[in-house]
Amino acid sequence: MGFHFCVILCIVTLMAKSSFNHVQIGGVVTCVPPLEKCIDDELELFGGNAKQIARLKKTIGLDRRRVVESGTTAADLSETAAKRLLEQAGLTPDAVDALIFVTQTPDYAQPCNAAVLHGRLDLPKSCAALDVNLGCSGYVYGLWLAHMMVSSGGCERVLLLAGDTISRIVNPKDRAVAPLFGDGGSATLVQRSECASAAWFSLETDGKGFDKLIVPAGGQRAPSSTETQVEVTDEAGNIRCQENLFMDGAEIFNFSIVEEPKAVRELVEYAGLDMDAVDYFVFHQANRYILTNIAKRLKIDLAKVPMQTVERYGNQSSASIPSAMCGELHDTLRSADSTRVLLSGFGVGLSWASVILDIAELPVCEIIEYSSCN
Amino acid sequence: MSLEKFVEDFEEAVEDVEPGSLTALTKYRELEAWDSLAVLTVIAMVDAEYDVRLKAEMLKANDTLEALYAQVCG
Repeated sequence: MGFHFCVILCIVTLMAKSSFNHVQIGGVVTCVPPLEKCIDDELELFGGNAKQIARLKKTIGLDRRRVVESGTTAADLSETAAKRLLEQAGLTPDAVDALIFVTQTPDYAQPCNAAVLHGRLDLPKSCAALDVNLGCSGYVYGLWLAHMMVSSGGCERVLLLAGDTISRIVNPKDRAVAPLFGDGGSATLVQRSECASAAWFSLETDGKGFDKLIVPAGGQRAPSSTETQVEVTDEAGNIRCQENLFMDGAEIFNFSIVEEPKAVRELVEYAGLDMDAVDYFVFHQANRYILTNIAKRLKIDLAKVPMQTVERYGNQSSASIPSAMCGELHDTLRSADSTRVLLSGFGVGLSWASVILDIAELPVCEIIEYSSCN
Repeated sequence: MSLEKFVEDFEEAVEDVEPGSLTALTKYRELEAWDSLAVLTVIAMVDAEYDVRLKAEMLKANDTLEALYAQVCG
């Protein structure tokens, strides 16, 4: 790891809010699988109810999603993104001082994805590597950790990977979740900057809501067994087993429209800004209905809220924010003019996190398609 | 704020319901259009129009729109 004691570091903290200076994002790449599914083709899942599909498309904004084939993982997608990012940024593996992998769908129970990818990316032994077990809020948590690692003087450059394959843990016969989730992997560089570049973070948790979005079995609390694999039909007619993802949609919706606007307002105030000072609000791409409801409560111009990503790729969990940045803001973030963005993720935990930062002149900001030949 | 207005707001929130077809005594959970999406849109409507955080359990616990309205006002 590189140590640069000569750089003046500035970290200001207030409970779970913190601000940093002289740290910047140095590029973002998102990788999606080529296989596309469309809700229009899933009439059987909805019991032949075309009207319900039409309502879901119109109201929630469900449309297409990209999902992996069996055998492809979040690590594969993120590895492809990372290689592209390093290549386009003109960096060799030894320029990376730490690797963070945010995922809830790792390749193995042990070791962590970061260690596996450390080997596959040929990173140096001096490079720290760790996983973060978070979902939709995870990208911002990862950025926060990376900012701390750079600000502490321990790292010159952190490679943040965030990816999930939630499509592999939903039951395809569960209408409440199956049409929502897509897969994706991302890679982001967080590095020291000589220029003043402030970043303000807020991070929050409500563990009392842990069971509102959960895979109940398969871990140590309820190990995988024949019982946990028995499919059960709920009162709404959705089918899942204990090893599939369960979501209490109404409670997650309530959580999102209450906590997100509050968190955004508080962070903007903490940063000493007003809402107009933010050029784009990039929320976790849960679905169009949630995003529109959050934006309405914040009285934000919808033109400042990217939300096409979820309709193209599905809810990509930890990869959804970088996906929206790459898919909808690539030209803006690559331009020489600085853009002030507020990134905000919310979901499983329950956990939510937001950051305001300035981004300019990214050497790379793009979405690429996965190929097993990559 | 009135029961009549609440019934109208409910009709608007739950699509696929003919305007004017519901009454205060309508058992909303028996409507064909009542599904998980309708739960979300009604929660959002009550939050936006009545500034009340409606829990899914409250929607399950009541049967008529009149009873639901009383809970919202409660």
